[in-house]
Amino acid sequence: MNSASPGIERIFSWSSIDSKSRVVILVSVLLICSIPHSSGQETITGWNEAESWTDYDLNAAVIHGEIIWVFGDSGIVRLSEDSGATWQNHTNLGDANLISADSYENSMAVISSEGIIYMKDDFESEWITIDSSQTGMKSVALTGAQSLVIVGNQGAIWQYTGQTWWNRTTSFTENLHDVDFNGDEDGLAVGDSGTILATDDGGATWDYREAPDPDCSIVSISYFNPYRMFAVSDSGQILYSTSPGGFEWQLREIESAGYNTTLATNLSSIDVVSSSRILFAGPDGYLGLSLDQGLNVERNILPTGVNTSFNDHAMFDYVSGIVVGDSGVILFTDRAGENKDIGFEIPDYNNFGEFVEYADDMLLSGFIATVKIVLFGILLGFTIGVILAMLKTAPTSFKNILERYSINQIRALGAICLIIGLWLLYTGVNRFPELQLEGLEYIFTPVGDPQGFAMFALGLGIVAISIQFILADKKLSGPIFKVRPLNSLATVYTDFFRNTPLIVQFMFIHFGLRLGMRIQQLMEGTFGDPGIDGIDYFFYGDRTFLSAIFTLGLNSGAYQCETIRGAISAIPSGQMEAGRSIGLTYLGTMRLVIMPQAIRICIPPIGNEMVNLVLNSSLAMVIGYSELSRQGKLMIATTFQIFSAWGLVMISYFVVTWTLALLLRRLEEKTKIPGLGISGGA
Amino acid sequence: MVDVVLSIRDLHKIYPGGVHAVKGVSFDVHEGESVAVIGSSGSGKSTVLRCINRLIEPTEGVIELRGEQINTPLADVNKVRSRIGMVFQSFELFSHLKVLDNITLGLRHVRGMSKSKAEEVALDVLERVDMLERIEAYPGNLSGGQKQRVAIARALAMKPEVILFDEPTSALDPELIGSVLKTIRGLADEGMTMLIVTHEINFARDVADRIVYLDHGQVAEEGPSSIINEPKTERLQKFLSSMHEDKISEEIENELVNNQADHGYVPDGTGNRPRS
Repeated sequence: MNSASPGIERIFSWSSIDSKSRVVILVSVLLICSIPHSSGQETITGWNEAESWTDYDLNAAVIHGEIIWVFGDSGIVRLSEDSGATWQNHTNLGDANLISADSYENSMAVISSEGIIYMKDDFESEWITIDSSQTGMKSVALTGAQSLVIVGNQGAIWQYTGQTWWNRTTSFTENLHDVDFNGDEDGLAVGDSGTILATDDGGATWDYREAPDPDCSIVSISYFNPYRMFAVSDSGQILYSTSPGGFEWQLREIESAGYNTTLATNLSSIDVVSSSRILFAGPDGYLGLSLDQGLNVERNILPTGVNTSFNDHAMFDYVSGIVVGDSGVILFTDRAGENKDIGFEIPDYNNFGEFVEYADDMLLSGFIATVKIVLFGILLGFTIGVILAMLKTAPTSFKNILERYSINQIRALGAICLIIGLWLLYTGVNRFPELQLEGLEYIFTPVGDPQGFAMFALGLGIVAISIQFILADKKLSGPIFKVRPLNSLATVYTDFFRNTPLIVQFMFIHFGLRLGMRIQQLMEGTFGDPGIDGIDYFFYGDRTFLSAIFTLGLNSGAYQCETIRGAISAIPSGQMEAGRSIGLTYLGTMRLVIMPQAIRICIPPIGNEMVNLVLNSSLAMVIGYSELSRQGKLMIATTFQIFSAWGLVMISYFVVTWTLALLLRRLEEKTKIPGLGISGGA
Repeated sequence: MVDVVLSIRDLHKIYPGGVHAVKGVSFDVHEGESVAVIGSSGSGKSTVLRCINRLIEPTEGVIELRGEQINTPLADVNKVRSRIGMVFQSFELFSHLKVLDNITLGLRHVRGMSKSKAEEVALDVLERVDMLERIEAYPGNLSGGQKQRVAIARALAMKPEVILFDEPTSALDPELIGSVLKTIRGLADEGMTMLIVTHEINFARDVADRIVYLDHGQVAEEGPSSIINEPKTERLQKFLSSMHEDKISEEIENELVNNQADHGYVPDGTGNRPRS
């Protein structure tokens, strides 16, 4: 060791740890980190998988009365009468792929890739086959019990009314992917290159609408009502209408995707099920749900083993329904597919993991709060302790102060003091009758009239001293000249703080003196409003924090003073003489010679005091400071887990004090003076 | 006429409790002179010395340093002390500082020197006491003789007008005394003004220009160092003969020590001797 000056880097530095200890530390950290996280809260899928009895791709789903119909490749048809939980076979409709379906009141229609439309115009009626003679059709929408519109490649739009087909193809020849009607008049068709076509006469005439992104391929549209129209593009964009009737369209800036205009996944279908709730489906196993019109889209968790391309939803209402996808996948839900948070709704605090899940935030904030007051308390306490110890050991007596003056000067000073003292005494005593105390009750005077009592006590002291000044002899041999005033002051302080309970000091200082509030107001006057965060809030935003620091510091200072004083007494008197003999002043010798040695001696008992301070900080809960113990009480108030809560609090305290003790032990070793202490072996 | 550096006139000290330790002591120390104060235990030698340095306030009397009275409340005690060097019986090195820092402390904080300047001076005085090899050691790791030489260097570094030695060898093991005495003798030869309180009669005779013999708080005899060989007063004769008896026992102890030295004992500075 080459230098005696202590420094943090010498107390705790990675490089000073030997390789064996380093390995132990690293392995311990790795072990703790590798224990798998067991969460009290688990998020699971809101979808259930149903058996469809087929492996063909399912392309369309539709609700018809109480029955859900599903249509797929090669004319596959399945139906469910129990909201999608179980499925029955139905006779195939032809052998072409069925690609789109729609329902309107009692009617239902499905279209095949060959352009053949199968329709039921009532719940009980048989299937009717209508041949449109058109191929490349993509979507069908019913506009009445017997009327429908189909759209397809190259802008093809055909309207069927009663018995007749009408070609309603417009001048826009981009491929159309989807058509949707609200009622029997108003409808929308969408397609490639941002094509949006609108009709208000059941599909006879179509108008072009300006698309927000001319490059996107709009694959699905949902016309919920004139005020709620949404569409999606295959590249994950969400389009919405900003005016009734769908005259203007915009791209949604999706909050949950960082205000991007795309979900960063491909989409194939959108279904608006309520005025705010939207379901999305896409290839690559994507199912999404938005509860706020597409501002935030949460991806649904899928049941284990399901990963397919989803094609279409069919919802009874805004919560229950199904989604179909390739390879015969049918999922049903009664919560719109929303992810379920298990363990959140009914927390079970008897489960220790769930209790910790709830408690760890509170515990951490309590831990930080405790460490905060402990650090500042230790600093303040140690400073006060050193100052008090110096005051207590100061040999300066009245004689030392006064001996340079002549006896007449001292007597004159005494006379002046006597007059001042008598006036203070008289004024102070005259205030007491206003308190209306009787007999022994006058012991409470300092509380009843602090100012008056201060005047009285000061006056009494000054009178007693000044009389001896007046009667002083030339050698200043009176008892008063042996009095060391600094020592007396420090003694009064330590006696007060060591003879009253800390918990009472806390309450007196915070609620009685309102020290925290006064300091806070002082700081606000100087530095301005602390706000609710930042460095100024840290220092004076919380008045209980200020009160707690000062109470702990003032209290601990009184105890540390005695410890440090003891250490000073243990330094041989010759050290002071040696320091003085080379011409150092008293304070200089204290600072350069005595204190550096005394502090080294008293590191173990000071460590004791500091650990005590940490433990005493738990009493700050009585003034409402949210440190560890208070957090423990709050945890119990919510969870009733008394054993666990106090157990966690205890471990937290142990961590603080033990760390402190280790640091102090290391400090002690590092600052040890060579050649002092026990040596020579056992 | 050689200047009087230190003049003590009619010094009295009554300790609290009524012990009248010093009863009217007067003597002078001249420039370049070394004065040895001898006397039995309790004769007031140390009290006189400490009064000079104002570590003790005398009850009565005048102490003058180059004609200025220094024992009044008006004198700046720190300034006075920095002009008077003091070497203690028990060394009183600052145990938390290395040898070099022990010496530079006063230079830097009293004389206001820079660190490098102070170290230059310190190395110079350490060379004079032959302690250059141990400047990085802590006092706890030095032997008693080495400690005392460092203490002398510490006093010397302040360039004092007079150095007070308070029994500089009485806490030392006999075999370690020699080096310290040699150092003090060297200072005397250089013409340093010194006041030495000592039990080493032979050393006092060799080094001191003048001997002051104190008995029961009074100067019983004063004169050139030859008075040790030819004491005039009965009290000094008696004292010297008692010292002679001590000396016999000292010789025996020396023999014992030498035997131990044969066994390869090297002082480790802890004061503990190895158990055999």
